[in-house]
Amino acid sequence: MSSTATVSARHAPSPEASESTLHDTWTLLRFMLRRDRIRLTLWVLGIGVMAFYFANAIQGIAEDEAELAQMAGMFTDPVGRLMTGPAFGMDEPTFERFFSAGYVLFIYILIALMSVFTLVRHTRAEEQTGRAELVRANVVGRHATLTAALLLVAAANAATAVLVCLAALVGGFDPAGTVLVAAAGAGVGLFFSGAAAITAQLSESSRGASGMAGGLIGLSYVIRMGGDMAEQGGNALSWFSPLGWSQQTAPYVEDRWGPVLLLIGGAALLVLLGYWLSTKRDVGASLMPTRPGRRDARPALGTPVGVAARVLRGGLRAWGIALVLSGMMFGGYAQALVDAAGDLPEEFAQIFTGESIMLGYMACMAVFMALFTAAAGVSALTQMRGEEVRGRAELTLSAPVGRTGWLAAHLSVLLVGLALILVLVGLGTAAAAVAVLEDDGDYFGELLLATIHQGPAVLAVVGIVVALFGWFPRAASLVGWLIIGYCAFMTNFGRLLEVPELMHDANLFGHLAEYPVEEVSWTPVLVLTGLGLVGILIGFVGWNRREINRA
Amino acid sequence: MSENPPVIYAQDLVKQFGSVRALDNLSLSIAPGEVHGFLGPNGSGKSTTMRVLLGLLRPDSGTVNLFGRDPWRDAVELHKRLAYVPGDVELWPNLTGGEVIDMFLRLRGSYNRSRRDELIERFDLDPRKKTRTYSKGNRQKVALISALAADVDLLLLDEPTAGLDPLMEVVFQQVIKEAASNGHSVLLSSHILAQVEALSDRISIIRAGHIVESGTLSELRHMTRTTIEAETAQPAGFLGELDGVHDARSEGERTVFEVDGEHVQQVMDRLAPLGIRSIVAHPPTLEQLLMRHYGDDLHGRGVEDATAKKVS
Repeated sequence: MSSTATVSARHAPSPEASESTLHDTWTLLRFMLRRDRIRLTLWVLGIGVMAFYFANAIQGIAEDEAELAQMAGMFTDPVGRLMTGPAFGMDEPTFERFFSAGYVLFIYILIALMSVFTLVRHTRAEEQTGRAELVRANVVGRHATLTAALLLVAAANAATAVLVCLAALVGGFDPAGTVLVAAAGAGVGLFFSGAAAITAQLSESSRGASGMAGGLIGLSYVIRMGGDMAEQGGNALSWFSPLGWSQQTAPYVEDRWGPVLLLIGGAALLVLLGYWLSTKRDVGASLMPTRPGRRDARPALGTPVGVAARVLRGGLRAWGIALVLSGMMFGGYAQALVDAAGDLPEEFAQIFTGESIMLGYMACMAVFMALFTAAAGVSALTQMRGEEVRGRAELTLSAPVGRTGWLAAHLSVLLVGLALILVLVGLGTAAAAVAVLEDDGDYFGELLLATIHQGPAVLAVVGIVVALFGWFPRAASLVGWLIIGYCAFMTNFGRLLEVPELMHDANLFGHLAEYPVEEVSWTPVLVLTGLGLVGILIGFVGWNRREINRA
Repeated sequence: MSENPPVIYAQDLVKQFGSVRALDNLSLSIAPGEVHGFLGPNGSGKSTTMRVLLGLLRPDSGTVNLFGRDPWRDAVELHKRLAYVPGDVELWPNLTGGEVIDMFLRLRGSYNRSRRDELIERFDLDPRKKTRTYSKGNRQKVALISALAADVDLLLLDEPTAGLDPLMEVVFQQVIKEAASNGHSVLLSSHILAQVEALSDRISIIRAGHIVESGTLSELRHMTRTTIEAETAQPAGFLGELDGVHDARSEGERTVFEVDGEHVQQVMDRLAPLGIRSIVAHPPTLEQLLMRHYGDDLHGRGVEDATAKKVS
């Protein structure tokens, strides 16, 4: 009898009612830490290592601050400000100012992404899978999950801030500014976890919640682009962006703390709003109605190519957009390269060969873009293997679609997609370069062709992975990524290494002529194209002979 | 049984995955227009059989053909005449249910639009939702509707109702009965005896990759044993001594016993005069059935002798 009484007393409304909405927060937090012990550690360490690299690598680029001053144009011209921020203190650049003006923004963006993904993973994703119901069925307070997730993200932000701080201190940077850099980073993380606390209430799917919060990160980047490009130090527009606030701290120059308070205050408001919204809905429900999709399929979906396009286009589009933007950015540096050509340190001159350092740079960028395009290809082929293992290929093949038809449909979508990416990247790079170049030379065609000329190397990578997909499907994706990694490494550092010729030959991206610095040489074009086509053919044979795997 | 060539014919199929013998001399034959229940516990080889029939897997040895043709070589031609519903339906998360259904129907060629809409209605599916948000049951409905709306001769259904609620299960049974009365052949796999019983003309029971029993329902009647729980006014303990009654236990007014299918009538005649206050009867589950007949023999090979004895 007495035990019953105790139980009912615990559940009766009591003066501690407000506390009971947080009941078991600590237990949940410990559980989240347990689940995320590797994932979150990798995030935090990864960002820390990156900060360490940035803070210390700068000191290897330039001998002294005089040399830095020659390179400051990279960040102070409008294109540089567009990408990296308001460029405070670049009139008298120091290593620490170089660090904060050119690189810290990217650390902040990563912290923001970490915060958003982690928060959504423990809130909306849990509800979407129904695991939250299991948890809430126990004696767990209404606000416990969100509170524990916020504490987890805050702890990760704090740990990251400490690592960033250490990284900059090891670099010998001024402690006052360094603490500000780290605090602003934590502020950005808190702000966007607050945003995610809201989007997790709005959207029914974790993808939607992460997407909306991620979109806010993108939006605040774009808003500050406008402000920072307009004038050095940014204008009023920069102050409409949380990422802009983080940079308006002007570390190592003016050391303003106001914007950090703005970030933290904003975070507090967003979090409160998130709590309030969470009381306005049921577990598992969302505040934004899910938009109904199409009741019927468009006619194009009824063909194998239509199916393949729906499967692959999302990924290819994302890669394409990222690569075209990067291409435009690289193109936009063309004039800065011409200006700096005379004063560049020895290391750069070694990497960018040729009479015109600008064209050398463009040839080099074309290889990089091709490497990433090939990575998009490997990613799509990984996705195709996923279609097979998850049983969706099996479903399509149970309709009157042959194996050859299935693979041909996916590969045609993939190859057309990759070709389109290369052409668009070429157009973007060329257009941006021609727009900034003061020299009226006719570079457009050359720069466009430079990127397209890399197509055979991309095709060769695709061919090898398709051959493996046909015969050794389990290894295909891994080998594909290893090829990309190896080629990227050899392209970056191969020239500086004394290694056997064979290792250079194995770099698929090292054979094509360095157009536009060199003339196009047809032998590597034909050999790489042949390699790609033969690989694809071998892949078809294997795919038709082997069984369909299912996980 | 019929002069028509079988729709599905499999003889001595063997399929080995590493050290696991997934199919062990499996033989199966399904006549045109027949609804064939394919009954077996999880992991007994039902899905492997389905995937061999679809030409996704190639058997190590044995003969298999559908409509007289090789499912591996003539996959595309054969798939024009059949539709398949996997047990674990994975769909494209960024498509809506309606899009997936249309996609499959178009891949199969001509289809009847009103039939599609009718099935969506009957299965109570919201076709405008992205499949990402569907439950397992809803994903299964999508696969079922796209299979059932197609004009095909053979339906391969691998545990098609595992995620459906009881109401939808009723709809499913109606639709399959309609399909059967239109002359479609159906291979329906399941691990629930009652479900297969309600629909099938014939049943095959698979265990460890081998068919251990095959026949019409009445041929398999000797295998079904019903559990009865009754509360009676007068003591019913003596029932345990009747023919075909097993494991009878009495506790006050409550008696629990199992009775063989062919003896139910006699037992009920004796039970009725005792003044029945309440009575509950459970059909045997597949697990009970398999345990009872093959429980002590965990090795696939010995099963054949047991079957031989039963049949003789």
